[in-house]
Amino acid sequence: MIQTILDALSYGGLYGLAALGIGLVFGVMRLVNFAHGELIAIGAYLMIITIDLGLPLSIIIAVAGTAALALLMELSVFKRLRLAGPSVLLIASFGVSIFLQRSYEIIFGALPISGQIAPWMSGVIEFGDTTITRGSILTIILALALLAGMRFLVENTTLGLQIRAASSDFQTARLLGVRSNYVIGTAFVFSGVLAAAVAFVLVTQRGSVDPLFGVNITILALVGTVIGGLGSLQGAALGGFAVGATISLLNSFLGNYRVYSYTWLFILVIIVLLIRPSGLISNKAFKERA
Amino acid sequence: MSLLSVRGLQAGYGKVQVLFNGHIEVEPGELVGIVGPNGAGKSTFLGALAGSVRPSSGSIEFQGTSIRGRKPEDIVRLGLALVPEGRAIFTDLTVTENLRLGLTGRRDKSGSAKAIAEVTELFPVLASHRGHQAGLLSGGQQQQLAIARALVSEPKLLMLDEPSLGLSPTVIQDVFGVLNKIQELGTAIIVVEQRAHLIMSVASRTLVMREGHVRATLTREDARDETKLAAAYFGTGEDRE
Repeated sequence: MIQTILDALSYGGLYGLAALGIGLVFGVMRLVNFAHGELIAIGAYLMIITIDLGLPLSIIIAVAGTAALALLMELSVFKRLRLAGPSVLLIASFGVSIFLQRSYEIIFGALPISGQIAPWMSGVIEFGDTTITRGSILTIILALALLAGMRFLVENTTLGLQIRAASSDFQTARLLGVRSNYVIGTAFVFSGVLAAAVAFVLVTQRGSVDPLFGVNITILALVGTVIGGLGSLQGAALGGFAVGATISLLNSFLGNYRVYSYTWLFILVIIVLLIRPSGLISNKAFKERA
Repeated sequence: MSLLSVRGLQAGYGKVQVLFNGHIEVEPGELVGIVGPNGAGKSTFLGALAGSVRPSSGSIEFQGTSIRGRKPEDIVRLGLALVPEGRAIFTDLTVTENLRLGLTGRRDKSGSAKAIAEVTELFPVLASHRGHQAGLLSGGQQQQLAIARALVSEPKLLMLDEPSLGLSPTVIQDVFGVLNKIQELGTAIIVVEQRAHLIMSVASRTLVMREGHVRATLTREDARDETKLAAAYFGTGEDRE
């Protein structure tokens, strides 16, 4: 029972991180970045490839590399589409996503590459009769630390204030002097850092990485950002958490019928959206960008 | 040398051209009005000056340098600030956070605290609502916040797009009363208004726009002459430049 709750919390935290990464970029530029999954994938590839250098260095390389790829996406593709509408951005992000998946296939091969990252994460801790996995505890701690860190950054720094302003009304923020390219670039870098954190947890769980490594969690995290309320960072994190925790709970309760987890998840999603069409936390200041 | 000198400015959205001939001269410390019916291109004119609408041709010289095609975030740093129509304050942020955002456009960050103190002196109501969510302020207070937020960047030229929109007559008096104080501090102002009388009584000159063109320039004396105003506004009689 305790393990079930911890699993739900850790899955929730993980999906919350993924959804926040997507929500950050969506907030400042109304881009639903489908290529976020490929950021998670590159983080995992980098970690597995460099793990022989030791875990700390491997993590640093993965975080830096993922953030760099996120920024590269923005500079090479999205920055050129500033005047384009949201649908063009969406299609472009599909393009980036597919391009990167194929690139990974060419560079790393289509088959999974395995590697042992932080094997201690899969160990168990015993409390009398109950045993719990170390991984779930550490994931919860990591997620809490990152969510708290992001919250501090967004709520208490000048950069965060500019990100919040740009998220609710980009045009007006620019009129006040908020540098659009700087704010968008930083949002991409942060989303890259969050993607690397997700990659770390996932790769310790799965022990291998393939070109489609980040696709599944990205789609579910996107669902989370929609449930949470598009345009609200809190909503994104909360929605992601809700989706992750629900999947984890469904998986444990459905037991042998867990193939139906997603069916039930999406039934719940539909119900939530019927009751609250603009998401759990609707951003009143959210404006459709012209 | 004029503070702002604009000639033959054209601008629009996509393929739809809205502004066909925008021109204006503003001297340092001057208050200039722009009036005209709905759809005359007034907001597009201001947007083109502030950089939020991309001009397709014409020239904009601010303090002797061309600013046409520059980004809005750069233009505000040069000292040209726009308070857009509908106030556009950040309703989810506090009054203080809104003002802090206005500081982004300052070139000299050292005077930030002083600038905030000065605008709260100009708009005392903001001081008492400092920590409140801006969305909870009344319409008039929100307008004051929007103006104050633009002022903390210490612009040399402040542009206001329909500051009276949605405000009650007494509140409008308050807002317009502050314009003279701002002017006394040495800031030039351009005010776009649909209510011609309101602005013509305080502005030294008022431009009349129709169908994307600046059609006439009226002095304060002209404002008392209803026929002249009506002629310029509705396009009856001859256009005078």
